[in-house]
Order: sequence, then C-alpha cells, then structure tokens
Amino acid sequence: MSAGQKQVRIPLHLSLDDPQPMYRQIESQLRDFILGGQLKPGTKLPTIRALAGDLSCSVITTRRAYQDLEGEGFIRTRQGMGTLVAEIPEEKMSAYRREAVDGAFREAVRAGRRAGLTEEELRDILEETLQREDTNVHQGGTS
Amino acid sequence: MTGTPVISLGDIAKSYEDFELGPVDLTIEPGYVVAVVGPNGGGKSTLIRMLMNLVQPDSGEVTLFGGAYPDDEVAIKQRVGYVPERSVGHDEMSARSLGEFVSRFYPGWDQRLYEDLLQRARIEPDKKFGKLSKGVQRRLAFALALATGSELLLLDEPTAGVDPFARREILEDISRFMHDGDRTVLFATHVMEEVRRIADYVVFLVDGSLLGLHEKDALLEGWKIFWVDREPEGDIPGVVEVVEGGSPTRIVSDSPQETAEALSAQNIRIVRSGTVDLEEILTHLMRRSKEGCRA
Repeated sequence: MSAGQKQVRIPLHLSLDDPQPMYRQIESQLRDFILGGQLKPGTKLPTIRALAGDLSCSVITTRRAYQDLEGEGFIRTRQGMGTLVAEIPEEKMSAYRREAVDGAFREAVRAGRRAGLTEEELRDILEETLQREDTNVHQGGTS
Repeated sequence: MTGTPVISLGDIAKSYEDFELGPVDLTIEPGYVVAVVGPNGGGKSTLIRMLMNLVQPDSGEVTLFGGAYPDDEVAIKQRVGYVPERSVGHDEMSARSLGEFVSRFYPGWDQRLYEDLLQRARIEPDKKFGKLSKGVQRRLAFALALATGSELLLLDEPTAGVDPFARREILEDISRFMHDGDRTVLFATHVMEEVRRIADYVVFLVDGSLLGLHEKDALLEGWKIFWVDREPEGDIPGVVEVVEGGSPTRIVSDSPQETAEALSAQNIRIVRSGTVDLEEILTHLMRRSKEGCRA
C-alpha cells in the first residue's frame, strides 16, 4: 500500500440514465479528451481500480473500457508503467475528427428529413449557418 | 480471469435447529470487491465464519487460495485479514498490545501501516479496547485486519456503528488496499450506499440461500423503471412489476430493451425512464425466489 504517485484526475461523468452502457460512456469521453488534445500522448491514466473508485463503478467496467481503447490504439498498457495515452498518427487523428463531423452532419440531415425539408432547404440552412458562424467569429466569437 | 480462485465454495450446506444455509456454490477470482448483502439472519456471518473455519459445513467444500481446512489452515490464514461481527476477548487489551499480538501470526504484518491507520482513526494506542466507543472499536478491528498484509480481507459489517465520516475513511482504506491489483475483499453489509460505492460484484444472501453473484454495473444497467401513459395488456417481456392505478403507470423491467419494444408495439408511450436502486432490485429478487419461479 504505497502512497501512490500524483495522478491526473480526468473529469469523466457517468450517468445511468444514458442509454449507453457505462463502459461505452467512459470510452467515448476518454476518446474525446484524447482527440481534443486535453490528454496528450504519454499521459498516465489512472489504474482501473482508481478510475472505478472515482466513478463508483466496478473494475469490470473500467477494464472493459481500457481494453477497447487499447484495441483502437488510443492507449497502451505497459508492464510496470501502467496505462498511457498512445501516440496517435496525425492521419488517424484527422480521420477520427472527420468521423465525428460526418456523424453530426448525418444527424442534422436526418433531422431535416424528419422535419420534411427539401435538399434545397437543407443547403440553405448550411449556407446560413456558415455565414452566421463566420460573423460570430469575426465579432469575437462566443466568449 | 484465469488461475486459482481466491474463494471457492462447492455446494456447502449447514443446518441449525432454526436455520439452514445453502447449498451455496460460489467462486471468487482475485482482484475484486465482493459485497454480501441481505437481511439480518440471512446467513452472511455464517458464510464468512465458514471461510474462517470458525463454522464447519455439514457438507460441501470450502477452498481458499486452492487450500482446504484443516490441512492448510495456517497457510490460508496468513493470507487473510478478518474483521468479525464482534471482536471477542479484546476488551482488556490496548491497540498497541493487540498489534503486537496479532503481528506474530502474520509474516507480512505492516507496522507502519498499522500506526498510520490508528492515527487516521485517532485511536489512542494505550487505551483499552473495551473503553473505546463501538465505532472506534470497529475501526481498530479493521486496522488490525488491514495491517496483516493479507491478500484477502473478510469483513463482517466493518462499518456497523461507525459514523458517516469514519465510514467514508474505511471505504477509502478498502479502495486503497485494492490498488494492488490482485487483492480481494469480501464484505458483508446492509448499507447499499457502500455497495454502490466500492463493490464490483454483489452476492445476495436471503434466508440462507444465495440469489446469485451479480456484476454490480450489469445489475444497475440491466434494470429500468418505465413510467407509461397507460397500463399494458397481456404479457410484456421483462416486466417484473406493474404498479397499477398510478398516473403515469410505473413498470419495473429486468430486460429494458425488450420491454420498451413490446410497449411501443402496443402504442404505449414511455413518459419517463429511470434506474432501479439496489434495494429495490434486491426486493424483487427476494420475492422472485420466494415465489420459486425463474432462477
């Protein structure tokens, strides 16, 4: 029972009301932090037990999340070193970022279709949104 | 998860005049916190005492670390820290002398940890056990078990009579103990908050019968409450309970997805959904086992 070295506390949040199982919630939140650059390559992650303690979930859940993320190449576990954020090749990073954007657009298009909008109207919305956001940025953004 | 289980109970049974335990089949792998939960008199203490060879089963096998009683008793017990329901024979001894006494039996005794724990619990080393409050006695018993340097802790209601702050510290100490990946804790409790906070698995023990070893998160994720705009007709899969007459109607399900699909097939709208807490899950499991239907 050593004092344990200082470790990053990652602001993860689990909700039982979320239809996604807890291990999926951990995976997607960690993935977002890694892709977003908040967790840099080489950052040491908490042990599965420490993370389970922080989140009041079981080590079965945290282990499953780490295993999946390791399988996807986001983190790696080294004997005696613990679990670290992996070095992710730039093309993979941009592919993942692109994927998230693709998904958001897909959702938006579906929402539009459900609302009965035509392709033309959807394009208009995209144009308008782009313009509005550009203006926002020029005016000093959302701060 | 391979290798030797820490605890293995093979069909153990024990009869008393007014109580029967078992048959219980239970295997626990190293690296987990297992909570044994159930009403008083359900057999929690008997089960733990059996793991300590303080009670012998009428039939079945008790195996710890692959060894059996009585042949491997010393080897087993050097790897087990135990907090009994009541500490007997400690009253005239101080924390210091109890530490000296217990340390002789454990090659892995960690004196520094013991002193740390005493300090953390604000226990005066020379005060007699009998003079300490009930809560402090529990903390001392817990400190003794933890300092043995054991790989397995058997804790029989370690936080009974302990105030909420001390309870929190004990739970933290258990978590810290678990940071060395291959250690194991089995603890009896009826405080569901403790189960929610630190357990990986939950064992429900009711009237001497084991209602399964459940993965805690799977249990919490696998049950849902649905509030719906009208009562469903006929059989809906997964439904454990329908509270009639409520507006909206409350349905408890142990297969939420199937239930939700069947509800939507009947054009019943789910107004809200929520989680079922462990107490309620236990209540349903108990009722189900009494009715004898489904496992």
